[in-house]
Amino acid sequence: MDILSNLALGFGVAVTLQNLAYCFIGVFLGTLIGVLPGIGPVATVAMLLPLTFNLNPATAMIMLAGIYYGAQYGGSTTAILVNIPGESSSVVTTIDGHAMAKQGRAGPALGIAAIASFVAGSIATLVVALFSPPLAEIALKFQPADYFSLMVFGLVGAVVLARGSIRKAVAMVVLGLLLGLVGSDVNSGVIRFTFGIPALAEGISFAALAMGMFGVAEVIYNLEQRAAERQVVVGGIGRVMPSLADLRQCIWSVARGTGLGSLLGILPGGGALLSSFAAYTVEKKVARAPKNFGDGDIRGVAAPEAANNAGAQTSFIPMLTLGVPSNPTMALMIGALMIQGIQPGPQAMLQRPELFWGIVASMWIGNLFLLLLNLPLVGLWVRLLAVPYRLLFPAILMFCCIGVYSINNNPFDLFQLVVFSALGYVLLKLGCEPAPLILGLVLGPMMEEYLRRALLISLGDPMVLITSPLSAAFLMAALALLVSIAIPAIRTQREVAMKE
Amino acid sequence: MRMALGALSAALITCSLATSGAQAQSPADGYPNKPIRIVVPFAPGGIVDTSARVIGNELSKRWGQQVVVENRPGGNGFIGVMATVKAPADGYTLLMAHTGEFGVNPAIFPDVPYDLDRDLVPITMITEAPMVVVVNGTLPIKTMQELLATAKAKPGAVGVSTPGTGSINHLVLEWMNLNTGVKFLHVPYRGGAPAITATAGGEVPAGKAALGSAMPHIKSGRVRVLAVTTAERSFVDKSWPTLIESGIPDVRSSIWAGLFAPKSVPQPIIEKLYGEIAKILQMPEVKERFAAGGGTPGGMRPEAFAAAIRQEAASLKKVAVAANVKPE
Repeated sequence: MDILSNLALGFGVAVTLQNLAYCFIGVFLGTLIGVLPGIGPVATVAMLLPLTFNLNPATAMIMLAGIYYGAQYGGSTTAILVNIPGESSSVVTTIDGHAMAKQGRAGPALGIAAIASFVAGSIATLVVALFSPPLAEIALKFQPADYFSLMVFGLVGAVVLARGSIRKAVAMVVLGLLLGLVGSDVNSGVIRFTFGIPALAEGISFAALAMGMFGVAEVIYNLEQRAAERQVVVGGIGRVMPSLADLRQCIWSVARGTGLGSLLGILPGGGALLSSFAAYTVEKKVARAPKNFGDGDIRGVAAPEAANNAGAQTSFIPMLTLGVPSNPTMALMIGALMIQGIQPGPQAMLQRPELFWGIVASMWIGNLFLLLLNLPLVGLWVRLLAVPYRLLFPAILMFCCIGVYSINNNPFDLFQLVVFSALGYVLLKLGCEPAPLILGLVLGPMMEEYLRRALLISLGDPMVLITSPLSAAFLMAALALLVSIAIPAIRTQREVAMKE
Repeated sequence: MRMALGALSAALITCSLATSGAQAQSPADGYPNKPIRIVVPFAPGGIVDTSARVIGNELSKRWGQQVVVENRPGGNGFIGVMATVKAPADGYTLLMAHTGEFGVNPAIFPDVPYDLDRDLVPITMITEAPMVVVVNGTLPIKTMQELLATAKAKPGAVGVSTPGTGSINHLVLEWMNLNTGVKFLHVPYRGGAPAITATAGGEVPAGKAALGSAMPHIKSGRVRVLAVTTAERSFVDKSWPTLIESGIPDVRSSIWAGLFAPKSVPQPIIEKLYGEIAKILQMPEVKERFAAGGGTPGGMRPEAFAAAIRQEAASLKKVAVAANVKPE
């Protein structure tokens, strides 16, 4: 019954007029910045952080948290409508979501994204409320070897993301890994492939690469088409709400996405990032009739959207219970608490229960706000696509530039945007997909870091990768996935050969 | 050198007393008449950003001018520092920086684009906090001597987590290695939070962390403090010995945050800033803010601050050369 009194305390904090207002401001801003390509939650939280200086800590956290999970909702909108992932978590949503938009089903795609996010967000918040301390313990048990093997699993999964040729997907993953090498090496401190440019010391800008490869490359590609064919939405706007059949089809996808997202979200160090990729991969493997994936399958939107929202909620667990940030936005939120003179951690939870439970309660309220805010807006967003392309594309380019620049306030990042736009266009022409490349870029450096750390701690003994049960399990799963990808590919090749 | 500086500062104080009596025109008279910008070479959060916001908030209350904190992260602090160096030297662009930019960078980088003496004027130290040597709470190691003995028995095998290669924490670890002849295994992370979590979770047996980042895990008992790196014990817990008391000669270091201005900002403006900030640092609520992260307020005069930085940079340089520490 402890939990009930705690929740009562939490709702007592969250349902004051001031906190409701800030919660709404948070999720509203979150949706907005999620929709604007480029400007992500990291930049927004960073910009708004000073404003929280004079708020009380619970109010500040409620607003900042709202921005974070609100952006997960909004991010799907741009991914679906204009094929730009604002955050790494919405990269997979572009695959089937944008395909749906091109088929004139932007409405149902946005609708299911909002519904899946709401369901997943609500369930994951329950997970946060009920299981925070034990889940935090699990997160602490994860060793470098386990992380490494999880990343290996993720990379093998990246190949499954590909719509067409597996060979091209592998090539893209490898290219992503190579780009991930740029920057300083965490162990020796050696600076690699930066050509003396200090801004590259921290590696290639994810935002510049994602905006360039997806958004700007797509714009260039579209401009090539004749004006008449340039319409992003083919054949009118279509119905906005998903049909009952759509919803029924998605129930299990949302459930699986929520489960995976909730679990991976608690891992500090890249878990949350993997959740939407993992959900998509799993969906493509277990769903019935998976051949539509990549061509606008609604389950390909529902599962990753559920996963990234669930992950967004549960990534608060390590932050609130241990003071460990699971991603850059969480690190900023810890910063926000520290500015208030609060050190997040187990003590903060015991000494300031109103803070922890107030945030938890506000997440339900915030998710409800988001659903109410997003479903009616779907029609509006979809109508945005009817705007003539000559007006739409300069806006997209402008927001991409603002977004990329706002992260570090560094003009060099805009040069990166230009380079990756050109590269993205070439790859688009070659029929190579950027999603596996992005996963390679994001996972590569982490994989290297964890592997080298695992070996450093084991004094160079590679057996740690197998002797740790978690690590061994992930490696086995990766192997199984690899075989399941390879066998059909080999079979079709043989069939082709036999026909000849 | 120090005597000369002392004389100079005494002369300046007399000088400023004289002018205030005579109501002479000074560049500081109208200052500030527009918003002031404090550049922070880090993302928001953390000791440097917090210092900038606490001081900025109080200054704007007292002077009725907005003080904007501008975060310019990246490039080992080069980007933020250079943004200040290149800004007009009118007192409207200031820099909040820390040990890393002026103590560590010159020690480990062959070519730092800025030079403290050439490009900047220190105003004052805002806050200073110790680092701590910790071990995982489940280990039987209770004292620094026991940790050293364990490491001596297994050279190069006892891991110590730090926030990164070329961090102040790493340099102090190397300094310990040099002065004790014991070899610890350096396990670098990306940032203070993952590093201390690794020690709290048992991934790495020991750690060298800022007191502030270690605090939650110290309170929960996941890590145990063996020593503080400062010359004096910390007010947080007087029972923690210093490294020197634990038998490691000469090793003393801290993490500080301080305010700087571009080189040719008129001296009266520096004095005005210093005077106001020294008062702010005496406020109980400001002291409390820093105390939450294990920090004590600074407030030393500009010349003393400059001298302290120079001394620190010289010791760290020696360590970096002897241990061949390369930058990250």
